[in-house]
Amino acid sequence: MPAAGDADATGDGTQGSRARAFEALGHGLAVWSGDLKLVTFNAAFARRFAGLAGGLAPGLSQRALIEAIEGSSQLVHSVPPEADPGGPPRLGPLDGLTLIFTDSQVLRVECRAIAGGEVSSLFIDITEYWRIQRALERSRDTAAAADQSKSRFLRAANHDLRQPLASLKILIYSCLSATSEQERIEALHAMDVSASIMEDLLGALLNIGQLDAGKVAARIQTFQVATVLDRLRIQFAHLAREKGIDLRILPSKHAIESDRALLERVLSNFVGNAIRYTDIGRVLVGCRRHGKTLRIEVHDTGCGIAPAHREKIFEEFFRVGGQQSGRHSLGLGLNIARRLADVLGHRITLESTPGKGSMFALDVPLGDVWRSNVGEPEINEKIGGEFTGLCCLVLEDDHHLRDALMTLLRRWGINVEIFDAFDDIPAALKALERTPDIIITDYRLRGGVHGTEIVHQINDLLELPCPAIVVTADTSPDLIADIRRQGFPVMIKPVSPPGLRVIMHNVLFEPELVPELS
Amino acid sequence: MSDDFIPIGGMVPLTGASPGDGREFRNGIILACEEINRRGGILGRLLKPSFADTGTQTAEETVRAARRLLAEGVHAIIAGYNIGSQNSEYEAIADAGIIYIHNNTLLQHHDTVMSDPVRYFGCFMSDPAEYWYGQGFIKFLSWLRDSGQWRPDNNRIAIVSGPKPYSIVIANAMAQAAEQFGWRPVFPPRILRRIPGDWRPLLDEIRAHEPAVMALTHFFAGDLARFHLQFMEQPLPSLLYLQYGALHRSFSELVGDKGRGAIVGTVIGLPRDEIGWRFFNTYKQRFGPEATPEIGCQTYNSLHHYAIAAAVAGGTAGPGGAEQNRRLAGILLDLPYRSVSGTIRYHPLWQAAVPYPDATNDPSLGLPHLFYQLRDAERPPALIAPEPFADAAFEAPPWLTPT
Repeated sequence: MPAAGDADATGDGTQGSRARAFEALGHGLAVWSGDLKLVTFNAAFARRFAGLAGGLAPGLSQRALIEAIEGSSQLVHSVPPEADPGGPPRLGPLDGLTLIFTDSQVLRVECRAIAGGEVSSLFIDITEYWRIQRALERSRDTAAAADQSKSRFLRAANHDLRQPLASLKILIYSCLSATSEQERIEALHAMDVSASIMEDLLGALLNIGQLDAGKVAARIQTFQVATVLDRLRIQFAHLAREKGIDLRILPSKHAIESDRALLERVLSNFVGNAIRYTDIGRVLVGCRRHGKTLRIEVHDTGCGIAPAHREKIFEEFFRVGGQQSGRHSLGLGLNIARRLADVLGHRITLESTPGKGSMFALDVPLGDVWRSNVGEPEINEKIGGEFTGLCCLVLEDDHHLRDALMTLLRRWGINVEIFDAFDDIPAALKALERTPDIIITDYRLRGGVHGTEIVHQINDLLELPCPAIVVTADTSPDLIADIRRQGFPVMIKPVSPPGLRVIMHNVLFEPELVPELS
Repeated sequence: MSDDFIPIGGMVPLTGASPGDGREFRNGIILACEEINRRGGILGRLLKPSFADTGTQTAEETVRAARRLLAEGVHAIIAGYNIGSQNSEYEAIADAGIIYIHNNTLLQHHDTVMSDPVRYFGCFMSDPAEYWYGQGFIKFLSWLRDSGQWRPDNNRIAIVSGPKPYSIVIANAMAQAAEQFGWRPVFPPRILRRIPGDWRPLLDEIRAHEPAVMALTHFFAGDLARFHLQFMEQPLPSLLYLQYGALHRSFSELVGDKGRGAIVGTVIGLPRDEIGWRFFNTYKQRFGPEATPEIGCQTYNSLHHYAIAAAVAGGTAGPGGAEQNRRLAGILLDLPYRSVSGTIRYHPLWQAAVPYPDATNDPSLGLPHLFYQLRDAERPPALIAPEPFADAAFEAPPWLTPT
């Protein structure tokens, strides 16, 4: 067969038509001799393989072409055809090959025997097909993983929830048939324990499910490690005290880069385990700086972990035989901790001496203190205003007005106390959670009682008099003058928030600006 | 160009406790008006400023000033700070539906705006709330400590506040943030109901705690100067932080070289970059060598930002023109402005400038919270933090340096 470029030179019209079709094919096409040496090729083939070392001279073998392609910078890699023992034999090393190029084009080579013992190879562009196939494979893998996770989740749920559920059923029966109050209380207490275990198990299983589904994403920010240590102290102090364990959490001033919530979950797991597996002694949480890393360590004086188990304890559903009797453990906590640490990019270290105790540590990158987020979701007066944390006693028997005032005061960060009745002031005052810093009272309370009288009664009972503001709808000048003479600033209803704020500030912090107090 | 002027109100304290600052706030508005008018005004309409004195900045005086300006039909009120009014003036301005941009530096602004964003759509604070002074200062201290520039003897901090809400909020914010960053307040913030003439008893009480840091959040320059001179009689072995007023010329005139070493912060100032220096020189040329561009820049920034937003929104409107002013307010919220003080980017809920690095890590998206260390009386304070605005390094104060 002549080369394509020579087609017209033959003067044969059919040959010319074939040559034009050869060029118009749109795919690369080459013709090889019986011994697989290049005879001719079309322009698409030439464009694809232009620039190969040695060029595309007739006589080039298929193997030499493959080596030239693989040695060039054009190819990412080639995929050989899947073995098909029952299928037709391959017509040379190119046959069935898939070539993936750096410009994203994907070609599949199909070889056919043609007349005269020659072989044609068509380089079919399957780029789109290849992309779709890869996407389908990824979706299939994700679906399979989710399915596997679901199955494991259900198996675990079935296995681990069955026991507390069975206990619960027995306990409900015991409770129903209890003959004494004591018996019923004991059964209810045990039911509460079983329900808590189920809650823990479901929580752990949910965590695993989320991790399996890839739904746990870290939100890395800079914050003070002290905020997490404080929360651990609050979370575990009671549990440690109940067990007689000395829980010590050493303060640290460092800023770190992590996800506050995920980090807390990992550390909670370490501290929870430390308390669970320590019968006598103490649990110590502290931080050490190593270069640009902060190592957060949780030490315990518990039973320790045998060398053979130090890696296995991080596996799903692994429980150390014998050590765990009487301790409810799903064998998921440390697996979750490690997987969360992986999500965060933090390294877990374990050191342990059986019979003496263990140390779990997490290495966290140190952060820039300027970037440290103090963890307040919104900056407003409730958390940072001048009145934040003060206590205000509101004496107002109109529920609507009282509710509106309480809402306003709480928005300013004030703790609000009220009296339900005004007939026994000493008892009402004693019932308050704390002594008020300021009183806001309506002048006319129900039953003909005046707010000023109540304030006088309160101040007679307090060591230090509490300042008060009187509000009234009565605009009689004589009345207002009388209230002022008693040393109370007066506001006329409806009370405006800025006006109230000015008077409250002055009464509390600049009393010399309040004429009634001078 | 139209002769139909756009009236702009300036609500500034020209008498009372802060007439010096009031003059600078007025100058800032005048300079901005002149510049905007030279460029053709807002869509061809020139600006005409009108000023109302807020005196001692009480609620009554501030509301009276606002009402006077509204009666004149101003399209916007630009103000420096009027911190005694507790936002009382917002009501009249909200009723009129015009734009109001101030530098009250008060957290109350967040609360008021968020309580009814529809009503207070036009109220903006072009600097961050005072709350950020507290949190930012604790970060600054921790940065000095953690970067090894300063080695405190202990982690104790004494925080003292004046009686104004501004000072109390800053002191509370410092105390709130302190423990997270490894600092321990020696007592809850001490709120002074009356500024003492004699600070020595309080200093002796604090001395007994041997704090590594003492912070005074009261801000009147004269009071701070008196405090500082008494502090220097027998300095505490502490780093000393003084609130904003210690940056005033009157402070350095009163304390002289004894001021050297004290730390002072401001959430709106004049960075020493090219833009800042250009404004500094222009302002001094226009108002004389005694003028203080660090203060005048506040109203200057607000008015320029307003003019840009107004042009984009298609114009301004006076009282009763809430519909047009809502469009203008929306542009103010959407369009960050690189002012001579840094970037003013209004928080969508607070309608207040977001501070850097206190609330954003990006210096191009926040107004820098600047920390200065005072030097000798004749030298300007050293700007020591934060990067990239700092132009000098921290030095141990002379009273902490062995002679």
